[in-house]
Amino acid sequence: MIHDFATIWAQRADVLSGLLNTVILLVSSALASLVLGALLTPMLMSKRKPIARAATAYVDAMRCAPFLLFVYLIYFGLPTLGISLSNWWAGAIALILYNTAYMAELLRGAWHELPVTLIESGKAYGFSGFTLLRRIILPPIFLRAMPMIGNQIIQIVKDSAFLTVIAVNELTHEMTGIQSTYFIPFAAFVTAVLLYWCVCLAIEAGTGALNKLAEERRA
Amino acid sequence: MTAFDYWSITRGALSTISLSLASIVLGVPLGLALALIRWARVPVLDRAVYSYVSIVRSCPTVTLTLLIFFALPQFGLSLDPVPAAIVALTISTSAFNCEVWRSALIEFPRDQYDAALSFAMPRLTRMRRIVLPQVWRASLPGLVNEMTLQIKSTPAVAVIGIVEITRAALRVGSNTYEPLPPFVFALVLYGVIVYVLLRVQRSIESRMRQGEAA
Amino acid sequence: MPSRFTSRFTSRFTSSFTAVTAIATRPHASARRAVVLTLFAALAASSLGLGFAKPAHAAGADDIKARGYLTVATEDDFKPFEFVDDGKPTGYDNEMLALVKKKLPVEVRQQIMPWPGILPGVTTGKYDMAVTAVLVTPERKNTFDFTTPLVESTTYYATKKGSSIKSGDDLVGKVVGVQTGSAMLADLKAYDEALKKKHGGQGIKQIVEYQSYPEAYQDLGVGRLDAVANTQINLNSLIKTRPDNFALGQALGQPVYIAWAVKKGNTAALQMINAVLFDLRKSGEMYAMQKKWFGASFESMPQSIN
Repeated sequence: MIHDFATIWAQRADVLSGLLNTVILLVSSALASLVLGALLTPMLMSKRKPIARAATAYVDAMRCAPFLLFVYLIYFGLPTLGISLSNWWAGAIALILYNTAYMAELLRGAWHELPVTLIESGKAYGFSGFTLLRRIILPPIFLRAMPMIGNQIIQIVKDSAFLTVIAVNELTHEMTGIQSTYFIPFAAFVTAVLLYWCVCLAIEAGTGALNKLAEERRA
Repeated sequence: MTAFDYWSITRGALSTISLSLASIVLGVPLGLALALIRWARVPVLDRAVYSYVSIVRSCPTVTLTLLIFFALPQFGLSLDPVPAAIVALTISTSAFNCEVWRSALIEFPRDQYDAALSFAMPRLTRMRRIVLPQVWRASLPGLVNEMTLQIKSTPAVAVIGIVEITRAALRVGSNTYEPLPPFVFALVLYGVIVYVLLRVQRSIESRMRQGEAA
Repeated sequence: MPSRFTSRFTSRFTSSFTAVTAIATRPHASARRAVVLTLFAALAASSLGLGFAKPAHAAGADDIKARGYLTVATEDDFKPFEFVDDGKPTGYDNEMLALVKKKLPVEVRQQIMPWPGILPGVTTGKYDMAVTAVLVTPERKNTFDFTTPLVESTTYYATKKGSSIKSGDDLVGKVVGVQTGSAMLADLKAYDEALKKKHGGQGIKQIVEYQSYPEAYQDLGVGRLDAVANTQINLNSLIKTRPDNFALGQALGQPVYIAWAVKKGNTAALQMINAVLFDLRKSGEMYAMQKKWFGASFESMPQSIN
């Protein structure tokens, strides 16, 4: 058993590169989906019916589809329509598109809880349109939705493991390669589980700090 | 796509539904047990459950399934693919269900519990008559939400060879070199299953609201 | 649910427990405590595993006969050796297994699963034998014993028809796909080293590892890969089904034998299967099967390759 872990330590360059890829995918898709989700939320709540309906259809579609199926659709389905992406980009775009819908839904829930007086007083001061969104509305709903955003980011970490099926060199893919070459399944997968746990603990610590910031601001 | 292709993907749907049902039936009570251990603050187990839930909630379903199927035989516990998938899915859903139950238990007004204590109600009756009916109502939306998420994480068990909807669609697509139709059909099947679950959730919620009003 | 005992235990200790923790509690103290306890438990468990991990199923012939069955694992999609057609497993290995089953004194329980799980499953004792196309390499001989060989093959590469890759040297700077954990991957990596020596440090641009070949072939068809490395038997089968899309390239490795694998030391299962395979060779059924699936028969293979 110790010998198995020693083999993994010998392969640590591969393991670390897999972990790094997971973290890069995580950070880039979390940031991108937060930004795009923040832009999608006003469309969800728009008074213009066609826009609201289109946005809601998109969000509902993403919530119905399993992530793996969505990845296959983007990776294998799009080439038949002429768009052929590399496996890295297909994985990143799948993560971003999928989570934008969830982030938009979270922010929408937080938006509903905003006191109307906040928006009205913002408008009374002359804020409107994009500036209203950026300076008055988004900060409070981000802080209010922070725990849920943290959960969603943890979900992104777990969804990134699905990308092993399209040969993206993230952590689970590297571990599967190591265990099938050296025949050490337990050591390989336990290491993977512990590494994922560390990443998620780091995310929880980060969102906990942001939560405290939110509490202070609210008080 | 031939008729047989449609049939093989639909057979995958039966796999998906039965795996999800098994893991839900096992995972909801298991989650309740874990939540009760944390709620009652049992000394050592409390910390163990905390760690367990923290690890399992951060573990991708794919990695957990691979661990249970490939790694456990090293300790002599060798499972067939379907039992291994059910175990992996149950472990995963029980951790999330524990959090759902726990948040409902935390919000449960302690004074009702104390009132029952002052009436010298035995523990089992306390749980059965006072705590659980109200906690069940409070946690139902969270539990059904978790069930929907469970169904969407069943494709993870394809990595140990179980032919559920996604893997069946993939196989049809790679044999015919036309991947789009089977994936679209698979999407439709998932949409139907999730829609049915949502309708069930809404009808349960409306019935409970009626019960509460009365 | 906490028992009556635990409630008394809890109520007596909770007050003192909470008093202690109230003084010592800081934010995230419980999380830190949980992490430390778990790491300690994991370390303890893995050191226990030293004595606990038993080599399962190194069973003698009588044990197998007493048990009444042999567990085997087969890959799910590796044409023409094994694949699933209309819900039934078929292919060279599956049909050979059917012939073997007829003469074997025990039952055979087969599990069909993706390749990355098969060899590790044999080493951990989950399966008695890998009834699938296992290429016999010197590294694998350290961990496995092999049956009498079933066929011979060489690693080749295939490209899209009309590709600019005309010889192995043209693979420099290209993207090549191969199956993870396979001997073809090892051959490809060795070939890459040779290319680097020959072309002053320039080798294959990227080696992409797939769980199974259908996805690799699809990517080759779409243009994400410039070439796919596999045995020439598999590639010939691919080109037969899609002659307008793909073309065979050159050899990347040396000819190797393909056989079924058991964990090293599992002589009981090995002898049982070898006895039947020798019969099938003598009766000519193996060669007939080879002609059916590969278009050629390999009659001069050695009896034993361990």
